[in-house]
Amino acid sequence: MSKAYLNYAAKRLVQAIVVILLAYVFTFVVVSILPGDPITNVLNNPQNGFTQEEIKEIIAAQGLDKPIPVQLWTAFSGFVTGDLGLSMRTNRPVTTLIAEVLPSTLVLASAGLAVALLLAAVIAYGTQFLSKGYGQGLLRGFPSLFLSVPNFVIGLVLIHLFGFQLGVFRVIEPDSFWATLFAAIALGIPISAQIAEVLIANLDHESRQEYAAVARGRGLGQLHLFVKHLLKPSSLPVVTVVALTIGELLGGSLITETVFGRTGLGSLVQRSVSTQDLPVLQAVVSLAAVVFVVINLLADLTYPLLDPRVKLLGAAERRPTTADEGSVDISNVVTS
Amino acid sequence: MAERSTLLSLSRRRLLITTSAAAAAVLLATKGLTPAEAADSPREGGDITFLIDSLGDTWIPNNSAISSFQGHIWGHVTDKLLYVDAEGKVSPWLAERWEQNNEATEFTLHLKNGVTFSDGSPLDAAAVVANLDIWYAGRKSEGINPIGLFPKTYDHAEAVDPTTVKVYFKKPTLGFIPTLGYHGSILISPKTIAQPAAQQADLSKTSGSGPYVVDSWKEGDFVKLTKRKDYNWGPAAVGHTGPAYLDTITYKLVSEPSLRVAAVQSGQADVAYNASPQELESLKADGFTIATPRYLGFVNGWAINTKLAPYDDVKVRQALQAGINRQEIIDTVYTPDWKLATSFIQSNVPGATDQSALLAYNPDKAEKLLDEAGWIKGADGIRAKDGKQLSLTLNSNPYLATSKSIDELIAQQLGKIGWKVEIRAYDVVTYGQKVKYGGAAVPAYEVTRSFIDAGTVASILTNANNGENWFALDESDKTLNDLRDKIASAGSIESRKPLLDDLQKYVLDQGYFIPRTQIVQRIYAQSPKLTGVVYNGVAYASYYTATKSE
Repeated sequence: MSKAYLNYAAKRLVQAIVVILLAYVFTFVVVSILPGDPITNVLNNPQNGFTQEEIKEIIAAQGLDKPIPVQLWTAFSGFVTGDLGLSMRTNRPVTTLIAEVLPSTLVLASAGLAVALLLAAVIAYGTQFLSKGYGQGLLRGFPSLFLSVPNFVIGLVLIHLFGFQLGVFRVIEPDSFWATLFAAIALGIPISAQIAEVLIANLDHESRQEYAAVARGRGLGQLHLFVKHLLKPSSLPVVTVVALTIGELLGGSLITETVFGRTGLGSLVQRSVSTQDLPVLQAVVSLAAVVFVVINLLADLTYPLLDPRVKLLGAAERRPTTADEGSVDISNVVTS
Repeated sequence: MAERSTLLSLSRRRLLITTSAAAAAVLLATKGLTPAEAADSPREGGDITFLIDSLGDTWIPNNSAISSFQGHIWGHVTDKLLYVDAEGKVSPWLAERWEQNNEATEFTLHLKNGVTFSDGSPLDAAAVVANLDIWYAGRKSEGINPIGLFPKTYDHAEAVDPTTVKVYFKKPTLGFIPTLGYHGSILISPKTIAQPAAQQADLSKTSGSGPYVVDSWKEGDFVKLTKRKDYNWGPAAVGHTGPAYLDTITYKLVSEPSLRVAAVQSGQADVAYNASPQELESLKADGFTIATPRYLGFVNGWAINTKLAPYDDVKVRQALQAGINRQEIIDTVYTPDWKLATSFIQSNVPGATDQSALLAYNPDKAEKLLDEAGWIKGADGIRAKDGKQLSLTLNSNPYLATSKSIDELIAQQLGKIGWKVEIRAYDVVTYGQKVKYGGAAVPAYEVTRSFIDAGTVASILTNANNGENWFALDESDKTLNDLRDKIASAGSIESRKPLLDDLQKYVLDQGYFIPRTQIVQRIYAQSPKLTGVVYNGVAYASYYTATKSE
């Protein structure tokens, strides 16, 4: 490995760490300037009947009366030594809380993504091969329709139809196979819209290319043409879009989890936001930051190794948007 | 053989349906009769699912026992020293009997023998002392709070022998005994109490002596309870002392209210908690059981800030008292399950007296009082005095879902007699920050609060002994202070009763407290298969005596 590359890698690594730490500090400051915290909320609930002295004493015992920079320093030094602390709301270790909910969200998010990809592929296929009179226009309208119907509405309709009317799944068992499938459908439908849009645009572009005409002239079947020749070049920009929808999957799963009564990262975030449970929010935001930064870091570190033409310079030249079989061909870049 | 068993189970089912229907009818006719007395042999076994909108925050017993959500689970996992029923009647439970001195400063509790926590440790005098100590003081530096409503006059307690506890107070504390049957006074194993907060926050590591134990739970998701087979110390007041009948109770979190109700309607769950009042009539029509038990406490109403003009004028306050049509609130926002306020405390509280005459709707009287006070109606229908309009700012209580609808209705009612009413709705956090008793911009603070004993009411209202000074009177009202001091030093319930009556009359007549309706904060929509549910003094449903037919 060249010295230049090692320099570059070290620089990128430092940058990544700085981004994670900044995300941590930023969340802390934002949540701290909002009024209230779970402890004060409980103490202020008139049902509890605490005296002012007791409230002051309890808040002092939790260190919540200290200036925000002091609180930040305490939390921050814990964070860099790997101690995520205790949740203010539940008093349980933050790591336990996250470990409890993470699997459910991973299952829902990956199932939702699978539904979205499948749906997008089916719609895209239809737009290429259905004749104009048989609903092609209608299909092209689907993505906009999917985007405009909020995911909780889809969820409620699915629950009432399949959960209550047809009895396919029980609402009180949201982690069962069927309940998870319908939750994934509710989550996947809006996500599929953007993927479908990009896919359709690229298929349109590819099918106008000479090689597609040649293939058609050779009498290739529609499905063969779609899968073998059109799908692959059209899919490369889709990968970029899918990467971008990861954030949306998390946001969407928050709503979907609430509607379907699933307990996952989304519902943990929701409860922590509404009570301003700082240590949990910090951990979740940091986790998200770590995931994004690591993926980007890996990409940034890998591109120069795979493609020597990528210069070890600024962001603009760092990464090719798409690469068609090794040659950087601008005509294949997203056309939508 | 198979045929015979089918026949048997069929007839058994029919029998159960008949008996439960009969039991329900008897229950309706003679309120107070416990279901165990009505049905001959309750059916053993069965599992129920209870859909709840939230499962609060922490499970540290002290910090959560008075949460309106955790209370459901604590009621099954833990026991109390005394039982307080829906009428506020105190009866023995784990304390079989008790004595007190004449000044109500020393109490002796005699405990039931042979009671154990689910971790095997005995529920003896030492365990009770450990509980009393932590209820009073908590371990604040560790994040374990005291129980806010435990008497702050507590001095100490000692174990005389394994079944006798003596409790000492610095001042007369008549309310101590009822406190033991209430809210947060749940008995927890000393082993649990000794654990640090983070351990206590794990529900599965907490041991009580209740008829159910925690089988499994997941934060923000569910809590599953299974019955304790060796349980044999239920409160006599519910007519059953042995193990519970139902095998398991699962509390499942479903935050969408319509989904909770729909799941019960479709038979996927047995109980939906907190359905909206508007849904109740159709549920009843479909044969579901609706329970709207009231808790012991203040009615839903306003504590008036007497420092803030024009509410420093008794005539304006009295006009407000007379200008609200309380029956219309029940007819419009609620259902006939809600009751008219007859005082500023709920009518089931021992010591509550009927002050309906002071709460009658009389718009003419209200207009006359306002005229006398110098508030004259202008061309726009709004009254004014010295160029200032007669205004009232209402901060809808975020803890009560129906609060804003009532505020809107009252705004119309008061509008007719010349009041300009403005409504503000904040979320819980903002409300907690901005809206306080006697706050500078808070003419009327909306109260929904349960309490243990009517004797504590007077000192909450004023600022003596860390009282909350609800009406911002400080020490200015001599009559109120006299009543407060006499009630606090009363040595017996009997001598206190007329004083409590005077207090209620005085506070309502002065327009210090403006009741709206009696409060129902817990609404249960339940499958007709489930019978024998008992509601205690805090309106929590107990399934200890419940049975479920097939």
